[in-house]
Amino acid sequence: MKKSSLIILEIVLIILAAIMLIPIYYLLVTTFKTPAEAALSPMGLPKVFMLDNYIKAFTAMNYPRALLNNLIVNVCSVSLLVAFSSMAAYVIARRPEKIYKRIYGIFMIGLMVPFQISLIPLYKVVSGLGVMNSLTGVILVSVFCINMSFSIFLFKGFINTIPFELEEAAAIDGCRKLRIYWVIVFPLLKPIIATVCILNALAVWNDFMTPLLFLQSPSKAVILLEVYKNVGPFSTDWTAFFPMMVLGVIPMVIFYLFMQRFIINGVVAGSVKG
Amino acid sequence: MKIGFAKTLRNHYVYLLMIAPALIGFSIFFILPTLMNFGYSLTNWSVYKPNYSFIGLKNFVELVHDVQTTAAVKNAFIYAIVMTLLQNILAIPLAVALSLKLKSANLLKTVFFAPAILSVLIVGYLWSFIMTSADHGLLNQLVQFFGFGPINWLGNPKLALFSVLFTQLWQWTGWAMVIYLANIQSIDETLYEAAKIDGANAVQRFFKVTLPLLYPSVSFNVLMSMIGGLKVFDIIFSMTSGGPGYSTETITTMLIRRGFTEGRTAYAAAFGVVFFLLVLIVSKAITWSFNKWEEKIS
Repeated sequence: MKKSSLIILEIVLIILAAIMLIPIYYLLVTTFKTPAEAALSPMGLPKVFMLDNYIKAFTAMNYPRALLNNLIVNVCSVSLLVAFSSMAAYVIARRPEKIYKRIYGIFMIGLMVPFQISLIPLYKVVSGLGVMNSLTGVILVSVFCINMSFSIFLFKGFINTIPFELEEAAAIDGCRKLRIYWVIVFPLLKPIIATVCILNALAVWNDFMTPLLFLQSPSKAVILLEVYKNVGPFSTDWTAFFPMMVLGVIPMVIFYLFMQRFIINGVVAGSVKG
Repeated sequence: MKIGFAKTLRNHYVYLLMIAPALIGFSIFFILPTLMNFGYSLTNWSVYKPNYSFIGLKNFVELVHDVQTTAAVKNAFIYAIVMTLLQNILAIPLAVALSLKLKSANLLKTVFFAPAILSVLIVGYLWSFIMTSADHGLLNQLVQFFGFGPINWLGNPKLALFSVLFTQLWQWTGWAMVIYLANIQSIDETLYEAAKIDGANAVQRFFKVTLPLLYPSVSFNVLMSMIGGLKVFDIIFSMTSGGPGYSTETITTMLIRRGFTEGRTAYAAAFGVVFFLLVLIVSKAITWSFNKWEEKIS
């Protein structure tokens, strides 16, 4: 392509990117405005950078506790997913017996059947196990019901590409099966572990339906539930709601700013068919 | 026979142990609810009828005649199809553009992808402020600035679904784009050289070289947007709650309305079964047609 047309293309793309950022800019500047000021000049810079709105939002959302709850749910869900799915996928990928093929078939039902169809029975199961209205309940649903099938699918696809020899050598040396897995195989899985972690961290963090259905008490609320709870009460003082949205997305934005290469690579790796 | 089994068990107990946590958890939290759902769908259970009985396929017959659920299914399909088309039609040229040697390519990629990391719920709230028909609505101030009359983005039943869809296009096009971009960058440069020597121009090279080789990412992205579109929930929940009227009600919002809000447990279960069948048919159809395409180009 000619150099001049490349430059024009680049300028067009930069303008497009700037337009895409308008909603984000609007979100940020509105946090410092009163409703009257925001109505008068929605796109203008705020006259004063008053932090009152942020302080109000921080307290109304019980931010530290909500953030902590989010972190607990996320760290536990992602760790359990990595540990359980990788072990299961390893057995499925390495063992020739029919039973493991059958079990894999069962796991893959989760990729075909949307879990949303069985929300009510799921609700019964969760309350039957006594984990309703607890972070444990949300973690169990996130891990086993929503994200496990895809994680196993990714791990199995990756393990299929790892050569067998190392494990055989270790077995000849008298290494035990479980040890072979954790000491020899697991470290080789690093790239796919990164993918599984990133995709699940994004999915679990931004999942709203699970906490909406399975967490009722305010002390267990995660960030998105706090945002949801405050929409109504802030409808007249609507600019005061904007800092809540900012506080709601800021952890993921920071995560993205530091990890963007890994996140984008993870998304790409997750799209490759196994 | 018994001894053989015991021996296999002994050899395999470690493997079974390794697979057990995943399998047990998955059975309890996925397989069991799914089976229960199929069972419920054949009963008349609701919060008002705790002593339920078997009624066969009556729920399904009622579903077909329920104008609100059929409208929800129609909305979900319109949403999914339009979303899939627009998202991919926008993402492919963007990816092609970013694959050229631009100085700002990395920065542009970061910006285009960025909305995808935000929570859909919050994106929905943000856009409902932007699209509001109240005086402070940013989008309408813009429209009026260009001399047009204000538009009721979310209040007009004919428009609301597409306004919601637009926000998701804003949010997810970058996601599809990075997948296409990686696919394009994996294409062998020499193929383009060869096409150039054969006298193919840029447009021909796109349709004869790039697009056929994008087959893996096109099939993945189309399947994902289609199924994701059929399941859409958060954005509807935060922007319109299904309104105005039932004009943006989709399958998942209707499932929750019937099952949780109205307490019609078995009826919602039957709707869930229908939903499952629809997703199954759609994904089979997509996979089938992409396999045909693959056969044709290889």
